[in-house]
Amino acid sequence: MPTPTLTQSIVITLIQCLMVVIFVFVVVPLTVFAERKVLGHLQQRLGSTRVASGHVGFSGWMNRRMWKMGKVPVISYWRGIPGLVGDVLKLILKEDVIPAKADKFVFFLAPSISMVAAIVVFAAISFVPGTFFTFPTWFPYLGGLPVSGGISDINVGLLWILGVATVGVYGIVLAGWSSNSKYPLLGGLRSAAQMVSYEVPLTLSLLAPVVLSSSLNFSEMATRMAVGMPVWALIPQVIGFLLYLTCGFAETNRLPFDMPEAENELVAGFHTEYSGMKFGLFYLAEYINMTVVSALASAFFLGGPWLLPFGLQGLLNPYLPGFLSWFTEPHAIFFVAKIVFLLFTFIWVRGTIPRYRYDQIMAVGWKYLIPLALVNLLLAAAIRCFVV
Amino acid sequence: MFKNEEMEINLGPQHPSTHGVLRVKLRLDGETVTHCRPMIGYLHRGVEKICENQSFFQGQVWTDRMDYCSAVANNLGWAEANEKLLGITVPRRAQYIRTLLNEFNRIASHLIWLGTHAMDIGALTVFLYAFREREDVLDINEAFCGSRLTTTAFRIGGLREDLPPGFEKMVRKFLAKFSDCLEEYEALLTENRIWKKRTIGVARLSAEDAIALGVTGPMLRAAGVAYDIRKAFPYAAYEEMDFEVPTRTEADTYARYQVRMAEMRQSARIIQQCMDGMPEGPVMAKLPKILRSEVNEVYHATESPKGEIGYYLVGEKGSLNPYRFHVRAPGFINLQSLPKMAEGGLIADVVAAIGSLDIVLGEIDR
Repeated sequence: MPTPTLTQSIVITLIQCLMVVIFVFVVVPLTVFAERKVLGHLQQRLGSTRVASGHVGFSGWMNRRMWKMGKVPVISYWRGIPGLVGDVLKLILKEDVIPAKADKFVFFLAPSISMVAAIVVFAAISFVPGTFFTFPTWFPYLGGLPVSGGISDINVGLLWILGVATVGVYGIVLAGWSSNSKYPLLGGLRSAAQMVSYEVPLTLSLLAPVVLSSSLNFSEMATRMAVGMPVWALIPQVIGFLLYLTCGFAETNRLPFDMPEAENELVAGFHTEYSGMKFGLFYLAEYINMTVVSALASAFFLGGPWLLPFGLQGLLNPYLPGFLSWFTEPHAIFFVAKIVFLLFTFIWVRGTIPRYRYDQIMAVGWKYLIPLALVNLLLAAAIRCFVV
Repeated sequence: MFKNEEMEINLGPQHPSTHGVLRVKLRLDGETVTHCRPMIGYLHRGVEKICENQSFFQGQVWTDRMDYCSAVANNLGWAEANEKLLGITVPRRAQYIRTLLNEFNRIASHLIWLGTHAMDIGALTVFLYAFREREDVLDINEAFCGSRLTTTAFRIGGLREDLPPGFEKMVRKFLAKFSDCLEEYEALLTENRIWKKRTIGVARLSAEDAIALGVTGPMLRAAGVAYDIRKAFPYAAYEEMDFEVPTRTEADTYARYQVRMAEMRQSARIIQQCMDGMPEGPVMAKLPKILRSEVNEVYHATESPKGEIGYYLVGEKGSLNPYRFHVRAPGFINLQSLPKMAEGGLIADVVAAIGSLDIVLGEIDR
């Protein structure tokens, strides 16, 4: 393997950045689309599951054929896409209203903070440990050089992720404050309290994997948690997973914890005064945050790029016969599949349960989740001491 | 350096969970409500005054547009009040059909309440499920009288037309599936921890307070008072029906939820009995060409899905239109209890309280 020059390594880093950004901007619209479809099917909505372009494209052709055969066309994966397209167009084309008494600079700044904080987290997320792929030798300029499975797999990856993700709260608080309006203010204050409270159990629940894997490096943690565990490590991982997922719902402001924007109490919470693409950025940030939370959960608890969750991969690897070798190795596709499953869970939960009240959320966070997270951490430490 | 200040905030008139154009003036200490006053009148059309200037026949279309979620119940009250005033006896078959449609309307109204109430608390799915069944009820309305929402279902003296062919099949089909549908909603809510946390002990209104404020309907029955006009002062064909008046004693939002869910079951039971025991005969009484009032004044109360809806009509003997018309609207009177329920709670509880009131602003403002 040739050693890359400085320019070559910069180019490769740019390629990695591009890949991650493409991943994010493919996954996010697909999640929005999936949300419409899955919710549509859960709630028997007619629009988002049946609306189709009608005459153009593949689904249009299918529609015409099915009508000709005397059947009502219902099954099509792309049904509902006009709704999505309309939504996106609306976001882009809508007039961008700024309230007269808003603090204009902060009003502009807030959505960008949310968006940037959400997307920068991906810098430390590695999709597959080591090399993702190697450029073939005939490739001009970059021939024979490896592209790793993440932008930069730094040794304090988890700290970076948690630190940067926290910055996103500022976006919401500042949005609520700068709108100079009452409902956004309430939403912003709620979110400040909620997200700060839930940051604690979230971090505590992620400390268990840190203790178990004695590392802060993303891919090393994922590897240790997936293949380096004896079976007893299962227990803190299952508890930790549920804890983490609960806190993750709270951190991303999704039902049942969507306090900051609780539609039926605060109109739209912190983004009441936002319109157009500024609102679009908050919207995007929420979905990117969902992807980040899913990525962390799938890496540390669900085996990341390996097939089996909760450290079972390490236990079963010696018994998996040779012809299944594909299942004993890490693949980015498994990682992405788990992210997708967790995103589905986010939508599923939204379609099923109501919203907590503000004081109840705080009570759940401080009275149940934090003690439970501490117990979980203690369990992990015990396992670290006596078993591993 | 720091000072505490109460924030005054307007919930509405444009707000997702005030069910129309209700405006609630709230004073907040943090998230706690210290002062709550409902402000009404944004939908005032002067229905009572308009009805005073129209003949007895014409008033009914205005009752549709008061509580537009339970138009049939309003029609029934109007028709019966006028029949009292004009001294008309309605044929038995018409009474049965009226009872049947009234109970369908109760189901439709409670379904709207269930959906919007659940949505206020964040359970989106129930809303769409409830609307799916409500569609079927509206289809039945449409089959009977041609319109879905503003039905003008009855005529003074009976019905305009008999049941259409195929009506019984539609009703039986609905009844066959409706108890399963109720179980579906209950599966999502009744034992849901979050739902219980959001509703149990929230927005209490004791029986004494409820009676003192004149609150009626499911709100009163959830406080343990088994007052249902269908039982207390039977009208239409309710005397011949076998049904229970569900009550709870907790007097909170959850109790109101349980009462209304049980009422939907009872309504289905009444519909079943109406369908099974439907008498034969004419559906319209013999009426003179021109209706003139026989007595001077009449007050007639019926049990609408929201509570006691009373029609007070004053007509000089022989006059062609009511001299004075007044509606005792259940939503208007129930809404008075909002400050009692909401003060001291959180903002989220105000929303739950408004949801459990089951108000329609068209009826409150008239």
